[in-house]
Amino acid sequence: MIASLIQLLTGMAEASSLFLVAAGLTVIFGVTRVVNFAHGSLFMLGAYIGWSILSRMPRDPEYFALGVILAGLATAAIGAALEMTLLRRIYRAPELLQLLATFGVVLMVQDATLHLWGPEDLTLPRGRWLRSAVVILGERFPLYDLILIALGPIVLAIIWMIFTRTRWGTLVRAATQDRDMVSALGVDQRRLFTSVFAMGSGLAGMAGALALPEASANLQMDLTAITDAFVVVVIGGLGSISGAYLAALLIGILQAVGIIWLPKSTLVLVFVVMAAVLIVRPNGLRGRKLTAARGEADTIASIKPASPSLKLAALATLAIAIAAPFVIGPFALSVLTEMAIAILFAASLHVMMGPGGMASFGHAAWFGIGAYAAALPVKLLTVSMPIALLIAPIAAGMVALAVGALVVRLNGVTLAMLTLAFAQIVWAVAFQWSDVTGGDNGILGVWPPSWAGPQAMYFLALSLCAGGALLLRKMLYAPWGFALRASRDSTQRAEAIGLDTQRLRLTAFTLAGSAAGLAGGLAAFTKGSVFPTTISIGHSVDALVMVLLGGVQTMAGPIIGAIVYTGLFDALLLATDLWRFVLGAAIVAIVLIVPQGIAGLAKR
Amino acid sequence: MMLEIEALQVRYGRALILQGLDFTVAEGEVLALIGRNGAGKSTTMKSIIGLLRPSQGRIHFNGQDIAGRAAFEIARLGIGYVPEERRIFTDLTVLENLEVGRQPPRQGRPAWTIERLFALFPNLATMPNRPGGQMSGGEQQMLAIARTLMGNPSLVLLDEPSEGLSPLIVQQMAAAVRALKSEGVSILLAEQNTNFAAGVADRAVILQTGHIVWQGSMAALPGEGEAYLSL
Ligand SMILES: Nc1ncnc2c1ncn2[C@@H]1O[C@H](COP(=O)(O)OP(=O)(O)OP(=O)(O)O)[C@@H](O)[C@H]1O
Ligand SMILES: [Mg+2]
Repeated sequence: MIASLIQLLTGMAEASSLFLVAAGLTVIFGVTRVVNFAHGSLFMLGAYIGWSILSRMPRDPEYFALGVILAGLATAAIGAALEMTLLRRIYRAPELLQLLATFGVVLMVQDATLHLWGPEDLTLPRGRWLRSAVVILGERFPLYDLILIALGPIVLAIIWMIFTRTRWGTLVRAATQDRDMVSALGVDQRRLFTSVFAMGSGLAGMAGALALPEASANLQMDLTAITDAFVVVVIGGLGSISGAYLAALLIGILQAVGIIWLPKSTLVLVFVVMAAVLIVRPNGLRGRKLTAARGEADTIASIKPASPSLKLAALATLAIAIAAPFVIGPFALSVLTEMAIAILFAASLHVMMGPGGMASFGHAAWFGIGAYAAALPVKLLTVSMPIALLIAPIAAGMVALAVGALVVRLNGVTLAMLTLAFAQIVWAVAFQWSDVTGGDNGILGVWPPSWAGPQAMYFLALSLCAGGALLLRKMLYAPWGFALRASRDSTQRAEAIGLDTQRLRLTAFTLAGSAAGLAGGLAAFTKGSVFPTTISIGHSVDALVMVLLGGVQTMAGPIIGAIVYTGLFDALLLATDLWRFVLGAAIVAIVLIVPQGIAGLAKR
Repeated sequence: MMLEIEALQVRYGRALILQGLDFTVAEGEVLALIGRNGAGKSTTMKSIIGLLRPSQGRIHFNGQDIAGRAAFEIARLGIGYVPEERRIFTDLTVLENLEVGRQPPRQGRPAWTIERLFALFPNLATMPNRPGGQMSGGEQQMLAIARTLMGNPSLVLLDEPSEGLSPLIVQQMAAAVRALKSEGVSILLAEQNTNFAAGVADRAVILQTGHIVWQGSMAALPGEGEAYLSL
């Protein structure tokens, strides 16, 4: 009993930190309708800046408070600059492009932070007051956690007061509902948006600095923070601040208490709770149905059959691909194999995003499940490669079916965040369940049998990937594909003519998951190993960039995108150790300059 | 002239909706913009307030070219916009809706205050803390006008204020428009209801599929206006 009370308090302290990050994200979303992936980066910057300030100051509580506030102000200024240079230009872009562009910022900030502060985790020397504890029911409980517990409701109350009692808050609430009308009434909405962004960023920065006494400033905290914040914001209801607080409490306590019951699966618990909440309340605990009329379908329009010249180009490419291994060296061959796998990975995401109209931000989950599902039987049961390659798509497809059944009802940004959260959970399972998965060390020695050398593996990958991509294409032009697109363009109309839209979406989701799983299985054998990084957000984003680089409108898009991206990425890795920064900047540039992708560009 | 519009063209995508409009609104004048559904009345208003960007033409307000400027800048120059759909902030109370519209007073003109607006629309005075989403259509229309007046505009664009309202409320609206006129506020009024327009307007412009087909004094309109509308 006492243990659980302490756990409860720990959970509440955790909830306050979660809330500070999530509140900023949800406020920004409410007004600008942009899901800012870089919110976690602002949290991280808050921690680093906070460390730089606090480690130079006396260790008294008042200086600590001052340092936290200064860190918040600094990140607010960075957030304002980010809004003015980037976000302002993408307010009317489709959600997926917004997520992608802000992820580009995540990458840039990671490299910038690495170069400014170095790779080591930075811990703050703690003053005596930070180490002191109070005795609650005979147990020592850190004083700092008590302060955090109080801080959550205090911040909630302050935000609430600002939104209801000040002119600024009234304008913000009005703009949440109808920005154009607010502007027609003489309010400069650009400045309003910048200020909202600054406020949200400042909250994230303060949360980062507040995390210092109990954790270190490190380069992973951006993605951890943003995933947690996504979960909290989705459960609470997009745009709802009180919802964010409730959800933060729920998740914080769940994590703290769950650690006792299910020490290794708190993340799974979180996902299950999230799914449960969304089944009962699809818009979150306190969210409302979003009225934003900007559908993906506006920009991600029809799929057009390839022109004769494009078909010819495809045949030529295939011919080159078949002839190449007899000419090129082993390194180039491995790059080609990687490209073939990337094509299947990208094409499978394309089915989901383009014709399916479902924004997925966690496609690496299926790839990773496929990879582990192929590698584990080989290692544990010495299953042969062909069978393992059969298991991979089946396993990924089955998990996709189960997850899809929960999430395909959801739309747009919620779906994107949920797929991302799910992928993070798969990642965590692979990472934490080290007895089976080898944890961070991965699974090594997943080599193909001796009859399958690099060349044979290349042809296997090529035929499976080309075959898979062709099959996907064939399905899209079959009645099923048309029905799928019809239900993407208008659920209501599609249902009126008797289409089961949920089923269509679920089929697409499962199919895409299964194809990605096959790609993952192949990757395991060609690389000879599987690591949790195959499931990382970065890998999901790789797929997104491939699809968007190529263009969503055509089947050729993901294929071109996969080839170009894989080639460029390998070249980039060789050329510079600032590859994250360059990649991030390139992603931002693609979204700003060629949102329709290479294939779309060629069409003009 | 307070508002001068020359050769105004507006497109939605490729479709040319306004095909070159020329008209003016004088200081203190009420000009009725009359036309059937889809004639382009709302499009004209949205392009004046800056919510739509004209593809060609000039819009001068008190001598300044405002075509293509941001809506908030145009509003601050003294143009108020009351949209057809009213676009009340449903989560905000009556007082909060009014607060969003508030702008500093203008020289040489008495500023609108909450008290004066409540005197103009007594219904609103009885529900200062009611959320906009829980008001009737007539009340919302009053609030939409009052909210715009909080910006102390010298020209108000009033888009179909009588649409969908009961005769009694329509009379109240007409009285309000006349009250504004007596305050010296210029009004550009979009209407399909020629009776309503006849009761308040000085002049009329008849719009048909993006063209002006007639303009002249309101007194000359009866009969002729109906004829155009029933085309
Ligand atoms: N967002 C839009 N996109 C494309 N066309 C539009 C859009 N809004 C209006 N139109 C078209 O522009 C034309 C003029 O519309 P507008 O709303 O200005 O008419 P109106 O005179 O205000 O009609 P009503 O009396 O019905 O309000 C119509 O043909 C309409 O179909
Ligand atoms: Mg209209």
